[in-house]
Amino acid sequence: MSGKTEVWQGTLALMLLKTLNALGPQHGYGIARRIEQTSANLLSINHGTLYPVLLKLEQEGAIASEWGLSENNRRAKFYRITKAGQKQLAAEVTQWAQATDIVGRFIALKGSKA
Amino acid sequence: MTRGLRRVWKRLLGSVGRSAPDADLAEEFETHIALMADDHRRRGLPADEALRQARLQFGSVSATVENYRDQRGLPLFDSIAQDLRYAGRAIAKTPGFAATAVLSLAIGIGANTAIFSLVNGVLLQPLGFAEPNRVYAVRELAPTIAPVNPMHLLEWGSRCPSLEAVALMRSGRGQLSGGGDPISVRGARVSYNLLELLGVRPLLGRSFLAVEASEGDDRAVLIAESLWRSRFNAAPSLVGTSILIDGEPHHVVGIVPDWFRLPYVGTADVRFEIIRPLVLSAAERMRSTGNFNYAAVVRVKRDVDAGRALAEMNAVVAQIAPRPAGTASLKAVLIPVHQLVTERARVSLWMLAAAVGSVLLIVCMNLANLLLSRIAGRSREAAIRTALGASRARQFRLILTESVLLATAGGLLGILSAAWAIRVLVATSSLDIPRLHEVRPDGTVLLFCLGLTLFTGLLFGVIPAWRFTRSDPQASLRAGSHTITEPRSGFRLRAILIGLEVGASAVLLIVTALLTTSVFRLSRVDKGFEVDHLLTFDIDLTDRRYADAARRQMFFDRVLGRFGASAGVEASGMITQLPTRGETWNDPIYLEGGVHYPVNNRYASPGYFSAMKIGVQLGRAFDERDRGRGVAVLSEKAARLLWPGDDNPVGRQFMGEDDKPKTLVGIVTDVRATLPLAAPATAYYPYWQRVPGEATFVIRTADDPNGAIGLAREAVRGEDSQLPLQDVRTMEQVVDVSLAPRRFQATLMIAFAACALLVASLGIYGVVSYAVTRRRNEMGIRMALGASRSGLLSLVVRQSMTPVIVGLAGGIAGVLLVGQAIRGLLFGIQPTDPLTITGVVALLLVVGAGACVVPASRAARADPVSALRTE
Repeated sequence: MSGKTEVWQGTLALMLLKTLNALGPQHGYGIARRIEQTSANLLSINHGTLYPVLLKLEQEGAIASEWGLSENNRRAKFYRITKAGQKQLAAEVTQWAQATDIVGRFIALKGSKA
Repeated sequence: MTRGLRRVWKRLLGSVGRSAPDADLAEEFETHIALMADDHRRRGLPADEALRQARLQFGSVSATVENYRDQRGLPLFDSIAQDLRYAGRAIAKTPGFAATAVLSLAIGIGANTAIFSLVNGVLLQPLGFAEPNRVYAVRELAPTIAPVNPMHLLEWGSRCPSLEAVALMRSGRGQLSGGGDPISVRGARVSYNLLELLGVRPLLGRSFLAVEASEGDDRAVLIAESLWRSRFNAAPSLVGTSILIDGEPHHVVGIVPDWFRLPYVGTADVRFEIIRPLVLSAAERMRSTGNFNYAAVVRVKRDVDAGRALAEMNAVVAQIAPRPAGTASLKAVLIPVHQLVTERARVSLWMLAAAVGSVLLIVCMNLANLLLSRIAGRSREAAIRTALGASRARQFRLILTESVLLATAGGLLGILSAAWAIRVLVATSSLDIPRLHEVRPDGTVLLFCLGLTLFTGLLFGVIPAWRFTRSDPQASLRAGSHTITEPRSGFRLRAILIGLEVGASAVLLIVTALLTTSVFRLSRVDKGFEVDHLLTFDIDLTDRRYADAARRQMFFDRVLGRFGASAGVEASGMITQLPTRGETWNDPIYLEGGVHYPVNNRYASPGYFSAMKIGVQLGRAFDERDRGRGVAVLSEKAARLLWPGDDNPVGRQFMGEDDKPKTLVGIVTDVRATLPLAAPATAYYPYWQRVPGEATFVIRTADDPNGAIGLAREAVRGEDSQLPLQDVRTMEQVVDVSLAPRRFQATLMIAFAACALLVASLGIYGVVSYAVTRRRNEMGIRMALGASRSGLLSLVVRQSMTPVIVGLAGGIAGVLLVGQAIRGLLFGIQPTDPLTITGVVALLLVVGAGACVVPASRAARADPVSALRTE
């Protein structure tokens, strides 16, 4: 381990949705950059792995895409979150919070053994 | 859930489309990398290093694209689409094979679909009655099977708790006048609740009311859709108006749909054009014993076993006293309506279905054989695929895809040809199949065709596919392409398939030969009269104007008199029921105080026997001198019943059907009442002893009998201008009606058998010519070592004929099994007829040998040097 963490299976979608929700429409590179920044560069992601997840979300109707111009005038595909996506995000956030809460309790349990 | 579905749908779309999204994806990735490189440059990296870093960070583009594609489409679907494209290419490379396969499949699947739609329409689908499995036709055993006594039925209706409803029916023509020429139409009188019992609703109007079943209030009528359209221009306003039937105004209460048939025993497929309420007259109700003269149906209550209903009915009828004289016990018989309607057609239809089934099976085996040969030639391809890592399952699927693709093409053509065939069958068929006209291709038929197509594709693909996966890549790749020899097991497999094809063809051919011989023998059977030069037509005097017997007798006397005076008429006569049109009117004859013998009872004119050329064996036919005397003529069989030991009973007396003494004036030859059955004992009485309401005239002419039609019409019009001639036909046509179903059935079978023979011989030819091509080197070596051409020829033929002979033996065994099932369809021939079997075996041997000799002699003619040089 080089101090950077691999992305857990399934969490990338949550990160993508959250990022799009916070940032508004964004292209693939922008999303990747933002995730790296948010995780304070602790998370290593292969930028290419984003795309299959984006596709899956789009097929599910959580996000939509259209071609537009980037800040430095390159043609890029912009993704934005849809209403359904926001619902899905809310559900996943709750789920995730519950999961971490449960795991947290177990960790706490270990500490109060004495 | 909906999210999942939406995704599958999008992925399905993703699998179908292809190039444009790929270009999009490439552009998107390029942008991503370029944006990243821009950032790196801004941080001071040189341009090429910035790009390198960006590419590194993005990861493998091709891996991403692969990953992305798997996400976008459905991988299984993608590979199936790939298989399909590949199979399409492989098939297109050999258009000859493809055409043969598709055409033979189209014939096989089309014929099966057409016959299935008959089976489906006639045997499997309900009659249009509500819950038909609760409806039964009733007959009584008193003591032989008979129509129903109406008094019994009424008792059952009121006293059997298991019966929901009961209804009576009785047929009788009606004369319709007004709105055009008067016509006589088939009619029935039925209990007012019959339609309700059957669960049939009129197209328009209503069914009968209870009040319409009482005497005096019964002038109501239901009209069949066909009559409504043909005579009343389908005017909805007809309902509620009055029309004239038998000279009386009747109130039209409703129109019944054309598909509606009365479940009428004996005449299952007769459509009645007018239906009137049945009224049991007060007189009839008062008679304690009643007549066994009605058709009847009952509906059993839901969840009640028919056996229980029958037990109740028998218990009730046992209490009814007094019994008709001479009946030991009365019993009821319940016949499911569906069986009633389709019984006769059942064996015949199943046989046709089995025949087309075998044709398709033969086609499948043949295609499996052809595919096997193709695959043997592609063993290198299989080897390379295996070497490159294709799994066996994938290889298997590839070949199956080819066969299913071929089957689908065949199936599509098959549906089209089936739709056409059904139309032709329904329009031209004289098959004795009730409800045939109702048959049309529907959803079930389409589904059947689809299933059959898939099944066929799998059936003929699975063996070749299995062989394809079994090729040994090392051996195939090591050997040069033209010297690859197929393992012996491949030849054995094909030999087995050929054997099966020949066996199935043999069964089909033998059954066809038996049926064809039956038709021929039936047409040549001694009927007891001469068929040629006879014109026949029916006259119906049930009109009210002829209610008086004397009036009818005068009509018959005078019309017959007119014929006697006409030029061109050799002889003429009249009878109540023509031969070959069935046995009816069974009444007893007996000697005073002796046993009652039921015989067919006919009323005829004196000229009838000479017109039909029915031989008078002893005595004479009746003549004018017999008016006012009780006389009769008996058939030989009938006379033998009464006077078994007497050589010449003419002049003796017996009791006739009216229980009055008759003097026997003559004995005539036995005549067939039904073509395939032995002639029944028959008694003939002069028509003036009981003047019939309906009769058939026969006119023997010197020339074409159709030439006498005008004369016949004139004679009848001369007596009654209102009276129509019905069923004007030559006697040959009358006889033909009873032959036509068998002939049509035999024609279909001949067509199927010819297909089977053709396909099987093509199969033998294909396999042998493939085998000799493969063995060219071997032949060359044999010739170089001194084998003669004729020796080589006989070697190949001997080896190739082995599966044919084994198949024939199997086929004969098959016929011995099948023969019993079709015994009822044969006439004058045993299913094991040795001559027929020998003939078919000889035919198949000749065809098989022919199919072997052509390719074998080509092989034997080959030049040994060139055969060896190709090494």
